[in-house]
Amino acid sequence: MSFFDALRYRLRVFGRPRAYDQEIDEELHFHLALETMQQEHAGRGAVTPRDAHARARRRFGNATYHKEESRQMSGLGFFDTAAQDLRFAARTLRHTPGFTAAAILTLALGIGANTAIFSAVDAMLLRPLPFHEPNRLMQVSLTTPPINGEPAHDDSPWSYIKAKTFREAQDVFSSLALYSHETVTLRAAETTREESEIIDEQYLPTLGLSPSLGRNFVPDENRPNARRSVLVSESFWSRRLNADPSVLGRRLDLDGAPYTIIGVMPNNFHGLTGRADLWTTIGARRPFMFQPDEAWDHEFSMVARLKPGVAPERAQTETRVLGARANSSYMTKEPAPGWSAAAKLLDRTRVDPVVRRSLLVLLGAVVFVLLIACANLANLFLVRASARQREIAVRLAIGASRRRLVRQLLTESLLLSVLGGVISVAVAALGVRVLSTMNPQRALSAQQLGGLGAVSFETIHLDGRALLFALVAAVVTGLLFGLVPALQATRPSLTAALKEGTAEAPSRAAFFSRFTTRNALVVIELALALVLLAGSGVMVRSLAHLVAVDPGFDPSGVLTLRLNSTPEARPRDSLPGFYQTLIGELRGLPGVTSVALGDCPPLAGGCNGTVIAFHDRPRTAHGAGPIVGVHWVTPEWFQTLRVPLLSGRLFTDADRFGGRKVVLVNATAARRFWPNESPIGRSIGVYQGGFDTAYVAGVVGDVRFQTIDSVAAADVYLPYGQSPRSGAMVYLRTSSDPLSLVAAARRTIHQVGADLPVYDVRPFSSRVADATAQARFSALLLAVFAAAALALATIGIYGVISFAVAQRTREIGIRVALGADRGAVLRLIVGQGASVAVVGLVLGIAAALAATRVLRALLFDVTPTDPLTLITVVALLAAAALVACWIPARRAARLQPATALRD
Amino acid sequence: MADDREELLKGTLDMLILQTLTVQPMHGYAIAQHIERLSGEVLAVEQGSLYPALERLQKKGWLTSKWGASPTGRRARYYTLTATGRRQLGAEITSFDRVLAAIQRVLQRA
Repeated sequence: MSFFDALRYRLRVFGRPRAYDQEIDEELHFHLALETMQQEHAGRGAVTPRDAHARARRRFGNATYHKEESRQMSGLGFFDTAAQDLRFAARTLRHTPGFTAAAILTLALGIGANTAIFSAVDAMLLRPLPFHEPNRLMQVSLTTPPINGEPAHDDSPWSYIKAKTFREAQDVFSSLALYSHETVTLRAAETTREESEIIDEQYLPTLGLSPSLGRNFVPDENRPNARRSVLVSESFWSRRLNADPSVLGRRLDLDGAPYTIIGVMPNNFHGLTGRADLWTTIGARRPFMFQPDEAWDHEFSMVARLKPGVAPERAQTETRVLGARANSSYMTKEPAPGWSAAAKLLDRTRVDPVVRRSLLVLLGAVVFVLLIACANLANLFLVRASARQREIAVRLAIGASRRRLVRQLLTESLLLSVLGGVISVAVAALGVRVLSTMNPQRALSAQQLGGLGAVSFETIHLDGRALLFALVAAVVTGLLFGLVPALQATRPSLTAALKEGTAEAPSRAAFFSRFTTRNALVVIELALALVLLAGSGVMVRSLAHLVAVDPGFDPSGVLTLRLNSTPEARPRDSLPGFYQTLIGELRGLPGVTSVALGDCPPLAGGCNGTVIAFHDRPRTAHGAGPIVGVHWVTPEWFQTLRVPLLSGRLFTDADRFGGRKVVLVNATAARRFWPNESPIGRSIGVYQGGFDTAYVAGVVGDVRFQTIDSVAAADVYLPYGQSPRSGAMVYLRTSSDPLSLVAAARRTIHQVGADLPVYDVRPFSSRVADATAQARFSALLLAVFAAAALALATIGIYGVISFAVAQRTREIGIRVALGADRGAVLRLIVGQGASVAVVGLVLGIAAALAATRVLRALLFDVTPTDPLTLITVVALLAAAALVACWIPARRAARLQPATALRD
Repeated sequence: MADDREELLKGTLDMLILQTLTVQPMHGYAIAQHIERLSGEVLAVEQGSLYPALERLQKKGWLTSKWGASPTGRRARYYTLTATGRRQLGAEITSFDRVLAAIQRVLQRA
């Protein structure tokens, strides 16, 4: 094949250019040597070797020329030209250090920001999951139909027994594993809370992982009353166990029970939840924590590996059918449609759609910024090119080919962009660090966004892929901003440029065409900047709305912390008394005005929920009643969080074991379940915490437990005194700075219960800030990009107008000399800029209306085309453009005609 | 015009090189010798201009080259005709014949 022969030839030449160069040399010498011998031979001794050599040379022709030609033919000439162009470009750029520095800096910032955002996109969306054949892994979840205003879900966890039924029936997955997140108490020299996953023995094989030290669980360890074993993460191993290789067999005290360490997980693995340091088996849980036969105890996520040869689509179909069957076998009444199961590729579930959308929007925004920077640079190059017009014209006239000149000009822009690209790596490194310290991770979990914890901002780093991206971005950028000016500058209209003095007044057509290119670039800049400003404008407004949402409680002045008791330390029945003592002690601290306990903090999501029944109404099918959020609180909770009581009464210390079971409902529940009547005194069944029959004692204000932007749900509160929980969040309202309480609160808690781990100590207000972190993250970055775009676009229009003024100095001088007043000159110049700006703004508005639609899913309470935002940013950009025109216009208006005409 | 003649020569030179190499793989000097000997000095070109042509033909994939030992013992680069090169030669000869016939017809009329 000629193609391959030719390719091989090129590889040979370009692979080792210096060696090939020598080969050509050697070949020519060989030829000359043979010809010399031939000449000597032909002369039969009458010719001296010297003459023979001279004759050979004569026959050969100009050896240097032929060698040069051969080099050109072989393609080696490319390197000569490139080196020559590079030297020339470097020299040219050195002559204008200000321009060069500004260009390189602009590029470094632009490319660096792009690389940083690309790294985030790569880590969060693109890089393959760190498991064996990750595209064969599927997340299998239960689906639930919409119930009483609750939307349908396709990502619900399984109960153990339903998962078992499904697992035994299916034949599309080669292995299925269950896992669930749990925080456990590790009792050691210091008692701490550790993140863990409860898994089965299939978990690691399904993911294709095995412990780097020790072994995986065996099936026996996942049976009730089995030996308790634990796997630890590598970071836990080095942090808490001193990376001791003989750690296997050591015991850890988890939630009051001894677990034997059987292995260490591979590096950086923190489970699919992304947080775990410890792994224990489902079977090893204590019986009261886990009823394997309870079909409605939905807790476990499922990950499964497809059998070889099974297409994901087939698995999805089978999952749907078998999931419906698994569900219906545990329905007491006829199965409701919508209760089924769904399988999704694990890779699809890696991040929440909101995160995906935000990242893509940010990537788009940062590309826009780079494009604007490119347009600016292209304009600068056009200005330079017109300054070098004579030089270029002379070179064209004496026979330089246009291609050659374009190539040389492109070398200059590529040199700039590659230098910018090199420096951009430092910018990107900084950007990546900023991104991971902004770490919305905690906020993400606080907002209960979906997605695998295993894919997190912590996994963002600059790697080879990012560097490759930076390089490609640099080259593309260089071509982008270099090509148009290079083509423009070498356009062959020689005569005008060559004539003396015409640099100031080139032919009208040439002036016009060059000018339109420059104007077009500014129009593009303005339009892009407007899109960015509009986008960030609505994001900022959305953020303002989010921050302004009344969450239903007052977090200021409240310190929060978590603690956890174990059944071994305190039997369940003793908990109410213990917590009452604890609250009493804490209330005695100076500055503390009230103290309360609750099981699940507001705005964090992930609270308990259940189905309720109304005993004074006809019975409904099991599992078919309305779903409510269930929250356990102590009496002072409402007072501490300043949640208003709307009717009835709050809990009191008298609501304890043995008394009539009472609950409180929130306003939404009252309105939804008892429209136009009072819920007080009604008997309901809350199928959690033993509240099968309970009476509504009062109605309280709505509190947002899920996310700040979710609509208020129906909630029911149960008193700790009648249904204690082993874990609690403690709320201390204080009249002073909440953080000043920390030491005293810790001390007091340890005096009451030395074994209690106290953790997650934070002012309540910082938890609330987490709830808007994701929105703040996107809005802040977008605002930064928009500000950069605004600045660049302003500089761009300023550059164009000042250049136009400089070019028209003579004309303006004449106008003034002939009696034009300064106002007229001002109007002339500003008018020129304004017409460009208006075109840019109109285009920008159209583009913004189209482009900001992608933001819809990220906005809260603002439409993407919010008119107020659009008007504001248009006004802002117009003002910036006006200022940018005004400065050069004023300079023009102040021209002294004499100076202008003399120069 | 100088340019035109060079073009014509270049095309002819390519054809001669390709034709020469149908005999066997040769090094550059041997190719030059072969062309001169067979054409009886009529087609004597500057020997050096052979080498740019050889590079060009390789770039097109019509020739390949590799280093081997020459009879004198010195290392020399030997050129081999590729299958595409052979096809190309056929095409060039056909078109050359056509041009030649046309020229002859014109000359006989005149």
